[in-house]
Amino acid sequence: MTANEVVELIKKNIGVPWNAQSSRDVFKFGDPNTQVKGIATAVMTTFDQIKRSSAAGLNLIITHEDTFWNDRDDTRDLQDNPLYKLKTDFCRQNGIVIWRFHDHQHAMRPDQSVVASLRAVGIEGGQDGVINGRVYTIPETTLEAFAQQIKKRTGNRAFRVVGDPKAKISKILLGPGYASPRIRPDVDLVIGGESPETDGVFDNPEYVMDAATLGIPKGQIILGHVMSEEPGMEDFAKWLATFVTGVPIQFVPAGEPFWT
Amino acid sequence: MPQSDLSRRRFALITGTAALTQLPATAATNPSASEIVTRIKTALGGDWPTNGLDGFKIGKPDTPVTGIATTAMATMDVLKKAVQSRLNLIITHEPTFFSRQDSPLPQPIGGGRGRGATPPPSAPEDPVYKAKNEFIEKSGLVIFRLNDHWRTRKENDLTTALAAALGWKNKTTGEQMFYDIPAATLEDTVALIRKKLAIRGGLRSVGDPKSKVRRVMLHPGLMTPAIMWANFGKTDLLIAGEVREWECVHYAADINSAGEKRSLVSIGKVVSEEPGMKACADWLKTIAKGIPVKWISAGDPYWRPL
Repeated sequence: MTANEVVELIKKNIGVPWNAQSSRDVFKFGDPNTQVKGIATAVMTTFDQIKRSSAAGLNLIITHEDTFWNDRDDTRDLQDNPLYKLKTDFCRQNGIVIWRFHDHQHAMRPDQSVVASLRAVGIEGGQDGVINGRVYTIPETTLEAFAQQIKKRTGNRAFRVVGDPKAKISKILLGPGYASPRIRPDVDLVIGGESPETDGVFDNPEYVMDAATLGIPKGQIILGHVMSEEPGMEDFAKWLATFVTGVPIQFVPAGEPFWT
Repeated sequence: MPQSDLSRRRFALITGTAALTQLPATAATNPSASEIVTRIKTALGGDWPTNGLDGFKIGKPDTPVTGIATTAMATMDVLKKAVQSRLNLIITHEPTFFSRQDSPLPQPIGGGRGRGATPPPSAPEDPVYKAKNEFIEKSGLVIFRLNDHWRTRKENDLTTALAAALGWKNKTTGEQMFYDIPAATLEDTVALIRKKLAIRGGLRSVGDPKSKVRRVMLHPGLMTPAIMWANFGKTDLLIAGEVREWECVHYAADINSAGEKRSLVSIGKVVSEEPGMKACADWLKTIAKGIPVKWISAGDPYWRPL
């Protein structure tokens, strides 16, 4: 089976029309006609992730995020960059093919990324999860207790919390990756992967800080981009195995990049 | 303090109006917020387009100024502290009303991302917006945003003040963002950064904790990939306010995978801008001519559970 044949099978199985205009969900490196020995799934094709995939004999990597450090994987300004040369040389020498699966994962109903992220942080009933989806209700707890639960369940080291630790929370909005939801009056807690601290469409941190000063219970939890979407790419690997057979399929995590 | 102000305060005490929450208006001789801002604009120069980031965000520009507070971000906590110190003109680097748009009114909540997403309901009346607006009005505050013109000032205060706050003075070259520091491990340097900047949970590091750090690049605020690609090879440690994970963080991780010991530490956007806004208070004293000017810390927004 070629890399391109795997991609065609994915297109057939996602259950929503394929958007050929997507700049993201295309081949990023390598020859689509390469024979696939094994498939690795990941949130980010870091150099380390690629090396580990290759060592495991997996030559097609399906990544949710970028490979060349910008969303469009625009490499025009990187032609003389030594790191770009090293990374692409490694891929070339090891016959690596990289294809991105982002926009269409989020377009799927439900969105694997959201469903898995809800499950990972311990929110039940999220099988219908989509980006900008509904508010989930959990039994009332404090922001601190809920944050501790996430740490315990996920092992996430570098996630960040805004708000009064004692704030009572129950109504939650979650959006993995950069789809961090906006806090609003009918929601106690927003959970996202990553979002601008200020000067965005809506700056949750300042709002939640002000709510704390005013005694209004609100919270924000920022999981980290990779950490928020890895459960979704692990689920993706399992889903892929339901219609791609004959080659090993393995989730190869990029892992949390930070220490604190 | 001007004599007329003393008289007015005594009058307030006699008449029992001193406890009013409204900041007492100063003598008519005190400059208005508008006059102070004109001095700022003149001193900093450049164009001040009405649709730019910098400008009055709320309050009456003709309000006589009792004192000026500078801050990285005009949070409710900062505004309360300003009122306690009788400072009624707030100069903030970041927004007051939770977005680039910085509008005192809550904006309708936008449509979904991703095809077929369910549009969420539009914003109902918002108690946080309401309380902040009421506090500002009741206290007679005037808020002016000073971002672009302070960030691009040729003295580059945001960077030099951040370096000074970290105890670093040795610029390596003419470029203001590079500093040679006494050699230390990354983990010790991170501990120093955390302590000097009073960081709670907002600091995140990429790189080998045992690697040696000598040459440091400072980049307060948001750092783009292009800046990192051009400069990371010249430095052991890059300290940025804010970075995107799929861009600079990914690049820093890859540099290490390629065998180069270079590190990235993200300290948070507001935290990275605090020393620069403290420097702004010192600079404002030179043009405020006797009016009290004070920097108020917004603090690290983040914490993480133990």
